[in-house]
Amino acid sequence: MSTVDLSKGSASSNRTLEMLNGVNPLIFVILALFVGIALLSDRFLAIDNQLNIARQAAVFLIIAIGQTFVISSRGIDLSVGSAVGLVGCVMGFLIQADVPVPIAILLGVGLGMLIGLVNGLVITKLQVNPLIATLGMLVALRGATHLFMGDEVVVRLPDTIRFLGQGFVFGVPMAAIIAAIVAILGAWLFYHTRFGRYSLSIGSNEGAVGLVGVSVDRQKILIYMFQGACVGLAAAVLIGRLNGASPTLGLNYELHIIAGVVLGGTALYGGVGTILGTVLGILTIGIVENGMVLIGADFHVQRVLIGVLLVSAVAYQGYRRRRLDRAASTGRKR
Amino acid sequence: MTAAQALLEVRNLYKTFGGVHAVEDVSFAVDSGETIAIVGDNGAGKSTVVKMISGAYRRDAGEILWQGKPADIAHPDDARRLGIETMYQDLALVPDLDAPGNVFLGNEPYRRVLGVLPVLDRPTMRARTADLLERVRIALPSMDRPVRQLSGGQRQATAIARFLLSDQARLIIMDEPTAALGVQEQRKVLDLIHTLAEQNITIMVISHNLEHVFDVTDRIIVLRAGRVEGVVRTAEVGKQDVVSLIMGGGRA
Repeated sequence: MSTVDLSKGSASSNRTLEMLNGVNPLIFVILALFVGIALLSDRFLAIDNQLNIARQAAVFLIIAIGQTFVISSRGIDLSVGSAVGLVGCVMGFLIQADVPVPIAILLGVGLGMLIGLVNGLVITKLQVNPLIATLGMLVALRGATHLFMGDEVVVRLPDTIRFLGQGFVFGVPMAAIIAAIVAILGAWLFYHTRFGRYSLSIGSNEGAVGLVGVSVDRQKILIYMFQGACVGLAAAVLIGRLNGASPTLGLNYELHIIAGVVLGGTALYGGVGTILGTVLGILTIGIVENGMVLIGADFHVQRVLIGVLLVSAVAYQGYRRRRLDRAASTGRKR
Repeated sequence: MTAAQALLEVRNLYKTFGGVHAVEDVSFAVDSGETIAIVGDNGAGKSTVVKMISGAYRRDAGEILWQGKPADIAHPDDARRLGIETMYQDLALVPDLDAPGNVFLGNEPYRRVLGVLPVLDRPTMRARTADLLERVRIALPSMDRPVRQLSGGQRQATAIARFLLSDQARLIIMDEPTAALGVQEQRKVLDLIHTLAEQNITIMVISHNLEHVFDVTDRIIVLRAGRVEGVVRTAEVGKQDVVSLIMGGGRA
C-alpha cells in the first residue's frame, strides 16, 4: 500500500481502503472458520444456526460498541459484566413488580448511565487508573447484585421484554436487529461526530485535546456514560432472551467483550478504533464458540483457540502499524 | 528599545519558583511583524518568560502590554483570545488524526446529511486545510494520513495551519522549533518562519541554535540568570557577540 499515491484519491475511498486494510485479516479468519467448521459439521451453515450465532452475539455487541469508545480513549471498562448483571436484575425486578416494560428499560438504561457516571468521575476527578476504578466497580456491583437479589431470581417475564431477546422480525432475531442499530448509531457517533473524534483523540494525545479548549474530563465521563447506556440496553435484551435474571447474570462478560473489541483492531494504547472491527471481532468469537460446540470439541479447546486468536491479532496489528509508520516516515530523521 | 505602539511589551516581569528567582525584572518590547529570538543558557529563564506571555504561568509581578493596553494573561485561553498562539515542542497534535482533523480540533464544523443527520463536514475541513497549508507553502503527501506518519516539517506546518485557521493569530511563539529534526526538515521549518514573517505575523522563537536564530530573526533577546543581558539587532552583531552575552562575559 505504501507505493500507492494517496494524495489524489477521494477521502472516502481512501478511508474505506484504510478500513478494509485494517480489518481484512479478520474477514479471512471468519471465512476460514466458516469453511473449516462447515466441513466438520453440516449443521453449522443452517440458517437457524447462523441466526442463533447472531442472537447470541447481540448482547455482547451492544456492550462492545460502547467499549470501543472507551478503549479508543485509552480507557477500559471492566465493570460491564457486573453492570449488565445488576441492571438486568433490577430491570427484571421492576417488571415483575408490574412497572411497565418501557419504563423499566428506561430506568435500567438510566442506572447503567449512573454507573458510567460514577466510573467517569472516579477516573477523572479522583484520578484513579481506569483499570483499577472499573475493577473495583466490577467487584462492588457483583456484590450489590447478590445483596439486591438475596436468594431470589427473576423468572417468567412478559412477552414484550421477551420479544427483545427472543422475537423475530421478518425471520431476523430482534436482538440482532437491535445490535445492528446500535452498531450503526455507534459508527455514526464514532466517525462523524465530535464525540467520537474526541474519544479517539484523547486516546491519542490527551494533552493536545485539552489545549484546544475541549474539556477532557467531561468527554471521558460522557464516554463511560455512553458505555453505561449500552449496558442498560443490553441488559433488556439479555433478560428477554433468558426470560429471567439471576445474580450471576453477565458473569465474565467483560472478558468476552474486551477480547472482541481488541480482536477487531481497536488498540489498548488508544487513538485507534474501529466499529466494523468490533462487529467482526465479536462475531469471530461467537462463531468459534458455536462451531466448537457443533463439532463436539471440548469446551476448553475453544478457550485456547480464542486466546491464541486474540494474541495473534494484537501482534499482527502492532506489526502492521509499525510497518505503515516506517513506510510513511522514510526521510524523516529521528 | 522600540517606539510607542509595540505589539507586545513586557515590563519588569518577575517569577519565583520556591524561592528561586527564575525571572527577575525582565522588560522588552516586540513590534508587529518582527521575528524575535529569545536565547540563553539552560535555566536562563527563556521558557519561563515565554510561558508568562502564553498564559501557562502566572507572573508574580510586572506588566504585560498588548498593543499598548495592559493585558491580564492568567490562562492560555486569555493569550489565545488576544491572538497569541504557542507552538509547543510536541506540537500539541493528535498523532492518530489526519491534518484536517488536527487543524480543526475543537472547532469541527458540521453539515447535515439529508437535511437531518449532523455529520462532521470533512470536505470543508479538507479544503480549508489545503488553503492554509498553501499559505505556508507546505504540501502534504496525503490529507488522509494520520499526522504521526508525516515528517517533522509537515507536522509543524499542520500545527501552524491550526493557528492560522481563526485568522486571529498575531503572535506565534515557538519553543525550539528546529530541535529534534533532520537537517532538511530544519531548513523547511526556517523557510516556514520566513513565510510567516512575510505575511506580517510576529514570531517569537526560543532556540539554542544560533545559526538558525541568525537565519530568521530581526532581533535577539539574550537572557542570563533570569535577567535581560542584552537586546541586539541580528544584522548588527556576530554570533560571537551573542555567545559572549549568553555566557555573561564582556569580551567576545
